[in-house]
Amino acid sequence: MMTRSLVLALAATSLASLAPLTPALAAELKVGASNMPPYLDPGRDHSNVGSQFYYNSFDTLIEKDHSTAEAKFLPGLATQWNRIDDLTMEFKLRPGVVFHNGEPLTADDVVFSFNRMFQASFPPYAVRSKDRLNNFDVAEKVDDLTVRVRTKKPEPLWETLINMQQLMIVPEDYVKGLTGDPKVAENSDFEAFALAPVGSGPYRIAEFIPGERIVWQRHDAFWGDKAPFERVTVRSIPEMATRITALKNGEVDIITNLPPDQLATVEADPNLKTAGMVTPLFHVLIYNTLNEKMASPKLRQALNHAIDRQTLSEALWQGKAVVPASHTMEPFGALYMPELKTFEYDIEKAKELLAESGYKGEEIRIDTSATYYTNGLLAMQAVAEMWGAIGVKTRINVDDKWTGNDPTMNARNWSNPMYFPDPFGSFGVMWAPGGPSEGEGRFKTDADYAEKWDRFRFSTDVAARRQAYGELMERIKNDPPFLVLYQPYESWGMRKTVDWAPAPGHIPYVLDFRAGSIRVDG
Amino acid sequence: MLEYALARLLRMVVTMLVIVTGVFFATRLSGNAVDFIGGEGLSAADRATLVAYYGLDASWLEQYWRYLRALAEGNFGISLVERRPVSTIALERVGPSLQLLVGAVLLTLAVAVPAGTLAAVYRKSWAGSMIMGAAFLGYAIPNFVLAVLLILTLSFWLGWLPSSGNGSLAHFVMPVVALSAFYIASLTRFTRNAMLDVLSQDYLRTARAKGLAEPRVIFKHALRNALITILSVLGLQIAGLAAAGNVVIETIFAWRGIGEMLVSAALRRDYPVLQFGVIAVALAVILINTLVDLAYGAADPRVRLARS
Repeated sequence: MMTRSLVLALAATSLASLAPLTPALAAELKVGASNMPPYLDPGRDHSNVGSQFYYNSFDTLIEKDHSTAEAKFLPGLATQWNRIDDLTMEFKLRPGVVFHNGEPLTADDVVFSFNRMFQASFPPYAVRSKDRLNNFDVAEKVDDLTVRVRTKKPEPLWETLINMQQLMIVPEDYVKGLTGDPKVAENSDFEAFALAPVGSGPYRIAEFIPGERIVWQRHDAFWGDKAPFERVTVRSIPEMATRITALKNGEVDIITNLPPDQLATVEADPNLKTAGMVTPLFHVLIYNTLNEKMASPKLRQALNHAIDRQTLSEALWQGKAVVPASHTMEPFGALYMPELKTFEYDIEKAKELLAESGYKGEEIRIDTSATYYTNGLLAMQAVAEMWGAIGVKTRINVDDKWTGNDPTMNARNWSNPMYFPDPFGSFGVMWAPGGPSEGEGRFKTDADYAEKWDRFRFSTDVAARRQAYGELMERIKNDPPFLVLYQPYESWGMRKTVDWAPAPGHIPYVLDFRAGSIRVDG
Repeated sequence: MLEYALARLLRMVVTMLVIVTGVFFATRLSGNAVDFIGGEGLSAADRATLVAYYGLDASWLEQYWRYLRALAEGNFGISLVERRPVSTIALERVGPSLQLLVGAVLLTLAVAVPAGTLAAVYRKSWAGSMIMGAAFLGYAIPNFVLAVLLILTLSFWLGWLPSSGNGSLAHFVMPVVALSAFYIASLTRFTRNAMLDVLSQDYLRTARAKGLAEPRVIFKHALRNALITILSVLGLQIAGLAAAGNVVIETIFAWRGIGEMLVSAALRRDYPVLQFGVIAVALAVILINTLVDLAYGAADPRVRLARS
């Protein structure tokens, strides 16, 4: 009797009938993701969680060949772009492009999308756009299919910047019409957009439940090659063991964030495989150079020399994380400079520098979140041991709160993602004069640093930029505000029938399901 | 009676106010939400801009006053993270949590009461020992271990059940079992003890003496009297389930309920969501206690008489 009432009650409360455990068909792709974003707006978002999702639904004026780490730019929503003068670029827009809601994409939409970032009034745009978009002045309409964009100083990185996620195009009338006056872009319009986003990419967002689920449907009117799936469903499965089981069971076709120690489990299944790559992102250890305890450059040099990063890679990442000699990685293209020796493990030098630094056994607090960075806590524990070995006292403080702006912070972990493929897209954003690190009050620049940074940022000659970047790295080496730990190795698990791999030309974590990027057999 | 009800209501309102106030200030003491939701790399001025945008720049007292006034209008505010009304988020979450809760309570009752009764009746045979052994195991094993074990066997190895989500009846089996195991084990033990107590009473000897069949003696006379204990334990259990029991299970099975919402809100200092969650849980606990009180009356006429 009891048992029957249980079954009845469950049947009544359950929405759907018993789902058969058959593998998904090629018409639909199912993804189990460890993290889902609370909102979707490519302009507002700069997180590693959100970056997974924008490329399938949004376009940029200038597209990029993502199959290679090299910077090969292609026509996107713009078919041509020509420099009008030192400060102005003119874009000819592709005719016949329609947004997911059926509206045509015109110069007005481009001007609106750009100026909402360049001259931001919405606070979340304003605080985020200045560190990477502040050289842009304004976008102006010339005619329905022509837009001019003006910069404040001559811009050497036009294509790279126009290609970035924050400059993806959104529909003006749709955004303005979401709340209040349909002729005015109010803050509430941008808030509403982030919950019901519309773009022009190959998949429209048919359903979005923050933190839980995204359902994409093919956008049949897409201007380029049609999406390979009628429907793609991404759902949140935060627990790793559950995610792997869902993949093994055929409940999903792809899972994200497969930790290094689980690769063998997935590969042991004859139906499954893994794909991975070194992520264009640095896990870094940062110092509060303005904190009294941490003020001595020699102390920070000693701390950097004491950390055996290769051992960290081997112990925590099975040797798959890449340990760079400087703040440099391959996707930086012409500015990839592996010859720079900014960071070196040298325990003797570390001891020497520590003795000269005047360090008197003060306790150095290392802040880390428990789980935010893969292996983050373990890495900090290892760092504490390595510092202990040269006689530095430490205490690990586990807290999810961001302490980069806390004057009492001594050292903590952080990540420097590559927001766009140039050192300006990672080092240049994070460590610019007046940028995030200086703004938070844990790093101080001077006129010499600013002059070098300006040459690096704005020289139109690549050799001059390389020269300036080398000089900046020398400054970092001698008075280090951070240490690059490594580039983590990120893996995805999938059914063997799925032909997908992370593309080297993307920013970190992009799930690119556009035509040509993924195939499913059978 | 009216006086009793009013006093009870007043006490409930005061309790809620204390809870609301406590949560309001405790969450703010533990850090500013902006530092948990994308506050990395902001200059002091930019951070201040965001703090003001989220309405967190006013003094705590002013924020508190604003919050109470909105509450009085039934407005729980807007999530700082998702920027949706808290009520919308909660509505998505309440259903799945209730489903789990109801499933777990029914399963607990269905298994624990008969098992405890049998364990008491057959206390000297191997059947009784088996039941108590199983109950001991269920009591000792943490629910997250059991959950992962279930996933491993029923889903990973055998592939019989879906591993996560809440789309169908099959999705219920593992989370409900994992959630109930501890409660089944503990209620089985309580039922057994209550039954042992009752079984030694004189009135049972009387019942047998007047020639009643043994099943009738056990279920009508003994169990009915043991029910008071069982109900009060069950009430506590449901309150515990409603308050915190689901968090781990919901996370493991990607079951989007109130527990998971509370934890992520706490981690990100999403004050409005957290405040709502605590209020909802507190209300649920108070409501359950009241229901248990009423159920006492139904189970035991003496309680009813004492009240009227």
